[in-house]
Amino acid sequence: MDVSKFVMIFISMVFINNFILSKFLGLCSFIGVSKETRPAVSMGFAVMFVTTMSSIITWLIYRFILIPFNITYMRTISFILVIATFVQLVEMFIRKTSPHLYKFFGIYLPLITVNCAVLGVAVLNSEEFFINSKIVPGSFALSVVQGLFAGVGYCLAMLLMSGIRERLELVEVPRSFKDVPLAFVIASLMSLAFMGFSGFRF
Amino acid sequence: MIRYGLILLTICLCSSLVLSTTYKFTHSRIEAQSINEEKDALDKVFIGATEFEQKTIEGKDYYLAKKGAKVLGYIIKVEARGYGGAIKMLVGFDFNGEIKGIKILSHSETPGLGAKINESRYGEDRPWFLKQFEGKNAKELELGKDVQAITAATISSRAVLEGVKKEVVDFLSKVK
Amino acid sequence: MIKKLFYEFKKGITVENPTFALVLGLCPTLAVSTTVVNAIGMGVAATFVLLGSNIFISALRNFIPDRIRIPCYIVIIATFVTINEMIMKAYFPALNRSLGIFVPLIVVNCIVLGRAEAFACKNSVLYSILDALGMGVGFTIALVIIASIREFLGNGTILGIPLVKGFEPVTMMVLAPGALFTIGILIGIMNFYHLKKKDKKEIKGLGCHGCK
Repeated sequence: MDVSKFVMIFISMVFINNFILSKFLGLCSFIGVSKETRPAVSMGFAVMFVTTMSSIITWLIYRFILIPFNITYMRTISFILVIATFVQLVEMFIRKTSPHLYKFFGIYLPLITVNCAVLGVAVLNSEEFFINSKIVPGSFALSVVQGLFAGVGYCLAMLLMSGIRERLELVEVPRSFKDVPLAFVIASLMSLAFMGFSGFRF
Repeated sequence: MIRYGLILLTICLCSSLVLSTTYKFTHSRIEAQSINEEKDALDKVFIGATEFEQKTIEGKDYYLAKKGAKVLGYIIKVEARGYGGAIKMLVGFDFNGEIKGIKILSHSETPGLGAKINESRYGEDRPWFLKQFEGKNAKELELGKDVQAITAATISSRAVLEGVKKEVVDFLSKVK
Repeated sequence: MIKKLFYEFKKGITVENPTFALVLGLCPTLAVSTTVVNAIGMGVAATFVLLGSNIFISALRNFIPDRIRIPCYIVIIATFVTINEMIMKAYFPALNRSLGIFVPLIVVNCIVLGRAEAFACKNSVLYSILDALGMGVGFTIALVIIASIREFLGNGTILGIPLVKGFEPVTMMVLAPGALFTIGILIGIMNFYHLKKKDKKEIKGLGCHGCK
């Protein structure tokens, strides 16, 4: 397997096509939970975990159920159900086994079910690594890596954003721009900065 | 508990029933649509040809562009590396390498800059950038002479040009 | 009665506008608002899903037990999203391609699930239909407003027609930063008016200021 392909996915998913800043996936939670650094990072790690795991599960479903039975049109419905079930199971498991971990990201897990980043990465995988329902070489590994790095990119954007917003609390801003509107304007500037990465290649 | 399961099961069954019926009604149209699109794309990159025959050479697909029984030229798929990712195109050309037409199938160039490779001016049917290639010989293509690059998008412009030039020359040497 | 019906329809466009007032469903709003055509396409698609899911959820509201309502809603919504996907692929392939991944992603659009949770599961079918239509229209209008600003500033056109001659477009506006910037400014302006209204009310309420 070509290592450079993985490096390319890493650069592309974390910097160039950052899920939040250039693809607008997972924007709701990005604006909602990025007020303070700690919850923002917890959310980021939770998303990272779920995107990776759901990439694995949805790949298996697409490869071994949807394609052989020729029902790829059921993609959306099966992916969302599986992701929702998976998230629910993980939440139950964490609550039972590790209260510490549950405190760290358990409360953010249910939010993730309706996070477009998770379903987005699953749909992207099924479109990029299966061409006309035919499997692309190394498809499984590529899917998992894409899921993982999409999560890493999300985490990075969360971390940066929450750092900025924490400091903004101390600054006097026009009353009508407090909180959400200003967060968008900052996100816009960050996204402008991230655009500098496009054209980056190996 | 079992009651919950049954209710969820009923809803899922109903939904899959509805979906499979919709699929039955739409899938022939979806397929026809994609075949149409392919034929349309082939028509556009080789004006004058009426029939297209799919062939393979060294594992790569290409089309013979024919009018009746007479072969006029070839159409190949070219993948060039642009600024934002792969630029996939269809290129039609005759035996000497004279370009008949180019159509971009997909690209991920920056909107407003590199994406202009595939933008038509208002009221025109084809992107003006690609129109410049028509009638030029692929072997002697040069940026700035035969083809004017797009302002502020030299990388995308060069990617299209170099990709077309290399693949067409490669193909012609293979097919002979 | 008629007044109430009209209110259910109107509220989605004005006081409870999903984009500007509730700040819901932002991902597709920002991603597809590069051109007005895309915006209208997305608006209509979302309205269709909203209508379908609202009707079925409110019709089945006494049948679905409370504890498993979320999975049930998701199945119903996903069904309509898939139907919508197939119809778009069959009849509007070009639009489907330019909306891309955001067509299946309507399923996680917070507006749809939000309306199911907040409205359809408590109200009758008729009200739910009006609510869905109002929300859908409100969403479409918001999308079209954002898209017109972005398409005009970023490309110099609206619906693909050039408006002003010699206008040099600001490319940034059709790119990702432009979307975030536009929505930030728009919400800011909305807030400004809301706060102004609120201040006026407070001043009147205080009484003393009126004496001056």
